[in-house]
This record gives sequence, C-alpha cells and structure tokens, in this order.
Amino acid sequence: MDIIPSLANGFAVAAQPMNLLVAFIGCFVGTVIGALPGIGPVNGIAILIPLAFSLDLSPVSALILLTSVYYGSMFGGRIASILLNIPGDSSAVVTCIDGFPMAKKGRAADALAISAISSFFGGTLATVGLTVLAPSLAMAAIHFGPREYFALYVMAIIIVGGIATGNPAKTLVAGLLGLVIGTVGIDPATGIPRFTFGAYELYEGIDFVIVAIGLFAISEFLIYIEQRRTGPVEQVPVGRRTTALRRLTYPATSLRASLLGFVIGVLPGAGATLASFMGYALEKRVSDKENTFGKGDPRGVAAPEAADNAAAGGSLVPMLTLGVPGSGTTAIMLGMLVTLNVQPGPLLFQQQPDIVWGLVAALYVSNIILLILNIPLVGIFAKLLSVPPHYLMPGVVTVSFLGVYSVNQNSFDLLMMVGFGVFGYLLRKMSIPLVPVVLGIILGTPMEQSLRRALAASGGDVWTLFQSPLALGLHAVTAIIVAIAILRESRRRIGEAAATRGA
Amino acid sequence: MSDRIVGVLLALFAGWYSWEAGSYAVDFGDPMGPAFFPELLAPPLGLLGLYLVLRPDPEPEWSTGRYLLSQAATVVVLVAYALLLQPMGFILATLLMVTCLTAMLGARLPQALGGGAATSLGAFALFDWLLGIPLPPGIAFGG
Repeated sequence: MDIIPSLANGFAVAAQPMNLLVAFIGCFVGTVIGALPGIGPVNGIAILIPLAFSLDLSPVSALILLTSVYYGSMFGGRIASILLNIPGDSSAVVTCIDGFPMAKKGRAADALAISAISSFFGGTLATVGLTVLAPSLAMAAIHFGPREYFALYVMAIIIVGGIATGNPAKTLVAGLLGLVIGTVGIDPATGIPRFTFGAYELYEGIDFVIVAIGLFAISEFLIYIEQRRTGPVEQVPVGRRTTALRRLTYPATSLRASLLGFVIGVLPGAGATLASFMGYALEKRVSDKENTFGKGDPRGVAAPEAADNAAAGGSLVPMLTLGVPGSGTTAIMLGMLVTLNVQPGPLLFQQQPDIVWGLVAALYVSNIILLILNIPLVGIFAKLLSVPPHYLMPGVVTVSFLGVYSVNQNSFDLLMMVGFGVFGYLLRKMSIPLVPVVLGIILGTPMEQSLRRALAASGGDVWTLFQSPLALGLHAVTAIIVAIAILRESRRRIGEAAATRGA
Repeated sequence: MSDRIVGVLLALFAGWYSWEAGSYAVDFGDPMGPAFFPELLAPPLGLLGLYLVLRPDPEPEWSTGRYLLSQAATVVVLVAYALLLQPMGFILATLLMVTCLTAMLGARLPQALGGGAATSLGAFALFDWLLGIPLPPGIAFGG
C-alpha cells in the first residue's frame, strides 16, 4: 500500500466543502467542550453522536466531526487549567501545575500560546505516526481469525477500562455488566429474543448512545450537585503576549513529550490523562535544572499538552486498524461507526480507503484549524468560562435529552437514559469504573460472534481458543496484567490493614 | 457495607441471569446457541459479587441532607421531563425543566426563568430550525 497517493486521495476527500465545514465545527465545539469543566471529551462526544446520525452525515463526515471534537477537546482542556486553575478535563490536570503560576505572573496569553503550539505539535506528530503506522498494522492484522479477535476483545475490555488503577475486581465487574447489558435484544445468529421481557423496545438491543449519555452526562450532573462550588471562581485575564510567537515554541520539549504520548496512546489501557502526567514527569526529569518547575516554567506547560494531544492521535491507531478501541472516547467512536455500517479493522483499509485516508487527511487540517482557533481567538473561549455553571449544566442536560430523543422519538429511551444516569452515579460513588461498561456494550456483540465462530469451527472444543500462538500470547499479556493488578491490590489491602492496626 | 450489598445483588443477579439464559436453548443450528455466551458471563460475575461480600472496600461517602434531597428532586424533574417532552412540546417542557434545575442550583427565580427561556428557545432555534432535527412542537405552538 503506497502511503503518498492514498494520502493525496485522502486530502481530496477532506477538502470537500462539507468535510471542511464539519471539521471546523468539530474543532470549535471540541474546544468549548474541553474548556468547560464538567464536560469531558467522553460525554461531549457521546452527546454529539445522535446529532451526527440525525443530520444524515456520511460515515466519513461523521467520523471527521467526532475526531475533530476529540482533538479540539484536547486543545481546549488547557484554557481552564491556565486561567482558573481548574482543569477543563482530566488530561489537563497537570497543565495547572505550571500554567496557572504563569498566568498569575501576567503571562496568561503566553501560556495559552505555548500550550496551543505544543498541542499542535503533538497532534500533528501523532497524525504523522498514524499515517505511517496504521497501514502496516492493518496489513499484519489481516491474518487475524476469530480466536485472535476474541483474545483482543477480552484484552480491550479488561485493560482499557483501567485495571491499572483502582480495585481490579470492580473493573472486571464493570466489564461483565457491560457485556450483560449487551446481550439484551435479539440474538443475531438464531433470532431468539434474549432478556427483553416482551418489551418490543428492547428487541433491537439497548442502544449504546443511550447508555453512554446516561452513564457519563447525566451522572456527571448528579455528581455536580454534590460537589457544587460556592461563590464565583477568580479568573485571570488573558492579557497580551509578552514575546514573539517564535520564542514561545519549545521544539525539543514538544518532540520528547509527543513521542512518549503517541506510544502511550497506541498501547491499550493508557489514555491521554496518563500521557500528560508522564510527559510532564519526563520533562521535569530532563529539564528541571534550576528547580523552576511548578513555579510557572513554560516547558511544564508545553510538555503535558504535547503529550496528551499525541496520545489522542495514537489511540486512533488500534481503533482504525484492529477495530479495538484504545480508550473510552475511541470506544464510543467505534460504536458510532458500527451503527453506520462501517466495520473498522484491516479490511476497512482495502474496502473503504476513502474513509480511512479522508479521516487521516482531515486530522492534519483539523490541527491547523485548531491552531488558528486557539491563538488569535482564544479570548472567545476564555469568555465562555465566565458563564456560571448553573446556566451551563442544565443546557448540557437539554442537549443530552435532545440527542437521545432524536434517535427513536420516544420517551422510553429518555427514561432509560435517566435510569442509566442514576446507575452511573451509583457506580461512580462505589468507584466502579464506567469505561469498561461502555466497552462491554460496544464489544459484546462482536466478541460473542467471534467466540461462536471459533467454537463452531472446532466443533465446540474450548481449547481451540488457545491453540494459536498469537491468541495465546494476547491472553498471556492480559493474564499478566490482571495478575499484577491483583498483587498490587492485595499489597494495598495489607498496608491498609497494618495502618488501621497501628492507629 | 455498600460493597457487601452490591456483592449480594450481583451474585443473585448472576444466578437469575444464568437461569434465564438456560431457557434460550435451541436444538438446531450452531452448537453453542444463544444461551452459551450469557452462561459464560454469569459465573465470574457471581464469584466477583461474592468476593465483594467478603472483601469490601471502605464505605464511600454517600450524600446526605439537602444534597441528597436536591439529587432526588433532579431525578424527579428529569423523569417528568422525559414523560412531558412529547405531550407538552419541546419549548415549554424545556423551559420548565431548565428553570427548575437552575433554581435548584442556586439562581433566583427570575434569573432561572431567563436561563430556561434562553436555553429552550436557543436549543429549538439551533436544532430544529438550523439543523433540521425535528423536535416535538407540542401544544405551545399549535402542533
């Protein structure tokens, strides 16, 4: 597969007026979603999916819209971090450490420019990585059979959902609950309705959009009520830049952090948040000679922003080439593609190159749009932060309802969404992660299909699942990661028990 | 304690889920049938439930008092909104819902009404008129 001509075709697709418009809107909306604390990329994208459906966008335009929103939210997260010292989303937490002190010293505009430039750097580098890496990975994946896919799905649900943090038993419970929710509806192989209790609304299964919006957006509102801030938050004014833009680029820092971020993004289980933390830690180790980090060092602003944008690009690689998402956000994009009858994976590169390469080209375009939106126009987004949240949050609820309503136009779906909102709130309070639930719902059907296909080929012999070296290797990796998580958890429990005895 | 309760519920649910799946057996077609996958999911779910009963995490901080009250009120408002959206129409129902929520979050009533009107009219203009996503007009605008 030749990359250059494919990419040239991709640019022809991306340059269509509709796709340019969609990319611009996506970038703008994404920056807003990222900038506002309380709406992260996952629920922002979940809310927008039904709208993409009802606008009858073509698959490539819909995908461009959502990835632009994703890239945009990575850019936007830093605005609140720098101006308010409140991260706009979880991947912008580290940006507060040096961003806010810089703003306090009257260099807010500089900090915003630095982070926009390094975000652009990270996003573009990741897109180059995607361009080079994705076709060869897709070529390798063409030999995957149902056994390998089954192993990959198991791995994705267990690892991506965040077994690395928190109680592993709860992560597994979350993944299983998602798979269970996914079994509701007519069994595609035999036509038998399962777990529908005769309600015909459930025959087509529970739409992942309803679950995702309920779990993320509605539960976020319930959490917000509890953590309500009292009194207005002080916002640092943007002001003017103190030096030329040229002097606000940190190429070495951006390159280091981007490379690290991209690799973290490609690997399953670690998303943009971890990438931003590690990017900052790496930069601190390399450059913090005079102990200036944490007091407004510009490199401390550049590094995490480059890393989290690069990770966002990297996480698209497994989603496009294997059809296995590398993060919660890409899982939701995958769900949308499947609903649009596009099955990501190695065959996509051969059968629908327009979609893949159109998307890749559009990502280059989006990065440029974002750079323009985020340097001269950053003041507009800063203004948005001064809107009090009690006007904003009900607006988010309105758009959530509107999106879910537009799918089937009935109140059954809306009630189900509210139900999942309460369910998601309870899960969050009990520190059961939400991402595995959504992954389970989205990956449940293909997982069951590949399992049944593999077993049908072997006449029902379960050991066939482990008799391919690649599948065995994948299962081994999953097993090792679970074992490490269990070990760490039991050590934590022993430590806690000792602490309570001592006290 | 919360973890223990959830653990018991999970174990009971897994038992019921497996039993219900057993009734989907068919004697034709592929050897695994529609019951196989759910029956595979139930045992680990039940065992993890039992594990949570035996080894619960520390109790989470549940909300109490007026926070719990406003959360319950929010859920009531959202359920009412879901049921009233079609008969009442988008504009009126949204106006009521947003006003209630905004007032509950601490705005004065006139401000909340303003926020409600702005949100509902703005969303209707943007999504129905501009983007062409049909929203229920309802009684307010004569259907």
